[in-house]
Amino acid sequence: MTVHPMITSAALHMDGVSRRFGKTQALNAINLTVPTGSFVVLLGAAGAGKTTTMRIAAGLEDADEGAVLLSGIDVDGVQPKDRDIAMIFDNLALYPNKTGYDNLANPLKIRKMAQHAVDERVHAVSSTLRIGHVLKRLPKTMSGGERQRVALGRALVREPKLFLLDEPLSSLDAMLRVELRAELKRLQQEHGYSFLLATPDFNEALAVADTIVMLVEGEVRQVASPQEIYEAPVDRDVARFVGAPEINLLPASVVAGDDGRHLELLGASLPLPAGRLNFDGDFEAGIRPEHVQIDPSGAGALQASVVDIEPLGRLSALTLGIGQEQLRVTLAASQAEQMIPGSTVGVDIALDFLIAFERDTGRRLD
Amino acid sequence: MSDRPLTLPLALLLGLVTVVTLFPVFWILMTAIKPPTDWNAVPAIWVPSEPTLVNFQTLFDPEALGVYGVGGVSEAATQAVFGSLLASIVATALSVGIGLAAAIALSRYSGGGRATPLIILSGRMFPPAAIAVPFVIIFSTIGLIDTYFGLIAIYIAVTLPFSTWMLKSFVDEVPKEVEEAAMLDGLTRVRAHLTVTIPLIKGGLFATTLFIFILNWSEFLFALVLSYTTIETIPVRLAKYVTATAGTLYGVQAALAVLAMVPLVIAGFLIQNHLARGMTFGAVKR
Repeated sequence: MTVHPMITSAALHMDGVSRRFGKTQALNAINLTVPTGSFVVLLGAAGAGKTTTMRIAAGLEDADEGAVLLSGIDVDGVQPKDRDIAMIFDNLALYPNKTGYDNLANPLKIRKMAQHAVDERVHAVSSTLRIGHVLKRLPKTMSGGERQRVALGRALVREPKLFLLDEPLSSLDAMLRVELRAELKRLQQEHGYSFLLATPDFNEALAVADTIVMLVEGEVRQVASPQEIYEAPVDRDVARFVGAPEINLLPASVVAGDDGRHLELLGASLPLPAGRLNFDGDFEAGIRPEHVQIDPSGAGALQASVVDIEPLGRLSALTLGIGQEQLRVTLAASQAEQMIPGSTVGVDIALDFLIAFERDTGRRLD
Repeated sequence: MSDRPLTLPLALLLGLVTVVTLFPVFWILMTAIKPPTDWNAVPAIWVPSEPTLVNFQTLFDPEALGVYGVGGVSEAATQAVFGSLLASIVATALSVGIGLAAAIALSRYSGGGRATPLIILSGRMFPPAAIAVPFVIIFSTIGLIDTYFGLIAIYIAVTLPFSTWMLKSFVDEVPKEVEEAAMLDGLTRVRAHLTVTIPLIKGGLFATTLFIFILNWSEFLFALVLSYTTIETIPVRLAKYVTATAGTLYGVQAALAVLAMVPLVIAGFLIQNHLARGMTFGAVKR
């Protein structure tokens, strides 16, 4: 068997890994690679199989089928302690009866590192993470952010081959989350660590990922850069998961007529730009909320009535009614202020960005 | 722990509960130091006018009550005290030890499937009276009757469901991720259980040990039917302080009961700090 060199050098490679819990197929033949020194994000909804994937990589759970390779070595039967992996659990799992210092020092002490070296390492990591002040305290006296950092520190002291981070920022408030994820990214880049981070939050993935692995119902749907996942989702499920407000999905069809090819959408017939949508017939049109232009004076290819305006801060989300269909649109808050619910506006859809899906299977066309 | 201020009605209520709870203890203590004439005097004597230690003396010297004209006390309680200590300590240690292993297996590995904890508990669904006689027959056949080995075996079998269930609830409270973090930190599974889980359930372990010890220490039925002459325990001896001439020797019984209370009070006092919960707080996000 020849192994691709990229796989032998990858920090983690999972090949056809499946896991079943009772009647539930938690993971279905997933393939996943974390190249050494890269930041891979496992993106998926709750129950998609993110935690199971991480636990199998760590050796805390066995795969029913498939192989797990760490730095090119099959680790079947290798105990967690011998895998040289650090994991940050979604509930942190600090040692409640140990101080911050002892939580950090524990992995080093178990590995019989000399006391002065332990000291040095713990203090280096705690100054990086700015947790020097909690070293003498028990976890119960720490704030959420401090606990998070201690958990991170316990992983960092060891400099393992691979870090598994299972929704490590989920319980923090928004500001702290943004701050810590920037810190994670910085640490990862500075030291060339290999990170696999699980999250249900696309924005978080967008902010840190080199590569996103999109997990849907125990299957890897797409492996791509954040940009590509957003612009060219492999199917409807992925398209709906990334981006907020959610992508608009509308019935549409392509009709070839005497005067060129047209797109039938929302009761209108729109001329298609050359080279776009090279197929005929019914499909489902995916339109991102930001790819719609609105004209308050009513000029545009389509006419719509304003149903609802929802401020989102810098942007606002408009819900428009066109016939029986609704269309969600984002636009600058300053522009949205001029809209009046019930009024009629003109709508133009940027057809260059339209994403077409097969109606039955949901797979992306073109 | 609530910070409710102690109001007068609350204080009265607490006082009442204390009196009701401690009254039997007071009565036993008083009876233990009463001379035979005071034991069942009417009207009742609350505090003996002439306190005496003769009841305690009688426990180890059956002739001691002779000075009050009470004779016919056949045996000392020495063997019963020894028997109770031996059976209770050994049975408790083994029950808690085995129960702890079972609790971890059930909590962490769903050992034997989901029904196992209930099957273990079902052993407690037979009333002891229903299984006592069959055990007498079985133990007679295999030569375990009237032996400490047999009594200890029964005690372990009877208390194991309790120790397993109690300890399982404590192990369940420790997030399994804490153990798993320890495994990734470099421990084997077994060492993670021993050095991470067990220290975290220390309080529960003490509470369970005390509870099982009390069960064994006060067990009467099995000790009665499985003992003839070689073995004896305190509860069985208590029932035997009846003479043909003086009837039930209440004072002597009370003295033995006071003696039986001592280890429990000491044990409870020593571990009271560990009985508090909340050991695992701070381990996980909630």
